[in-house]
Amino acid sequence: MSRSYLFIPGDVPRMLQNLDVFEADAVIIDFEDSVAEHEKDEARNLTRTFLKRHNFDTPSIYVRINSTDVFEHCQKDIQALEDLPIEGIVLPKASLASLKVLEKLLPRPINIIGILETPEVFFEVLTLAKYPWMKGFILGAEDLTKTLNISRTVAGSELLYARSQMIFAAAAASIEAIDTPYTDVKNIPGLITDIQTSKALGATAKASIHPNHVRYINEYFTPSQVEINEAKRIVVMAEKNASMRFSLDGKMIDKPVIERAHNLLEKAKKYGVL
Amino acid sequence: MKSIVVGSLESSDCLITISPHHTLEIVIESPVYQSFGKQIESVIQNILNAFSLTHVKVYCQDKGALDYTIEARLITAIERFKEAENES
Repeated sequence: MSRSYLFIPGDVPRMLQNLDVFEADAVIIDFEDSVAEHEKDEARNLTRTFLKRHNFDTPSIYVRINSTDVFEHCQKDIQALEDLPIEGIVLPKASLASLKVLEKLLPRPINIIGILETPEVFFEVLTLAKYPWMKGFILGAEDLTKTLNISRTVAGSELLYARSQMIFAAAAASIEAIDTPYTDVKNIPGLITDIQTSKALGATAKASIHPNHVRYINEYFTPSQVEINEAKRIVVMAEKNASMRFSLDGKMIDKPVIERAHNLLEKAKKYGVL
Repeated sequence: MKSIVVGSLESSDCLITISPHHTLEIVIESPVYQSFGKQIESVIQNILNAFSLTHVKVYCQDKGALDYTIEARLITAIERFKEAENES
């Protein structure tokens, strides 16, 4: 369970060696889009020598490999990651077909976070979510909207279907639903609206491409004091009430609400606000 | 065969240039040469030894790179150097 996933380029030393100061719960070292074609080998070697010398408890470290469409890069990425202390890999253009290719390349089972960024994947997203190594999805809105030939807006209505599909499939398989990065880096009010929208739909976390976004993501994905207080009251009332069904401030409380309150308190504990 | 250049002159990085040479030569330029010149040279020498390279010139323009960066940049340079050598 993480709130924030920060992408950093795999070929920039000053970003790599500072990855634990950005306060992201998870960092995704990128071998794909942020690394130029002729610098892929530099990113692999730099990440490799770095992670051989540095082992992190926090943040969790993931690596975004190149997609299986560019097979040679994908294969070399996986070879470079062998025996490194990483939490898992992030797979661009995830699909059932790409998982079959990946399975043959991977020497052992590994956690996978799939990026949902093609229209096709939304027709197989539940099967993908239930794949045993799948630990989460990231919505890749930039590539998706490019293919759909639509623009991204602050309101995000153009992403409603994709976000909901990802969140429903992830929830059904009990994996993470990580919302797409907000790319208008300096527009903080826009970022906050985007976070609130995705959280309201059920996203469990949000990815970011800029360290400055991390604190906002962490803040909004951490239970607020109001939520914590309400959850505490529900739990206390539930303990006193054997029927598991009661009224609190005029609202009906039953089993799902009580379970949600327990989950919220657990989350609050994890992030040090309880 | 031409020289191979890897890395950058950005802060915390280094630019490594490797070229064929009649002997082994290591040249280091660094703002911290007084304190870390020997250490940088040792990192470079260890990598060259691991790849059994004895007839190259390595020019390292350091901008405050840590050991892992110098190591990675040099490994990439050597891999590309060997690839170019095989192609020529």
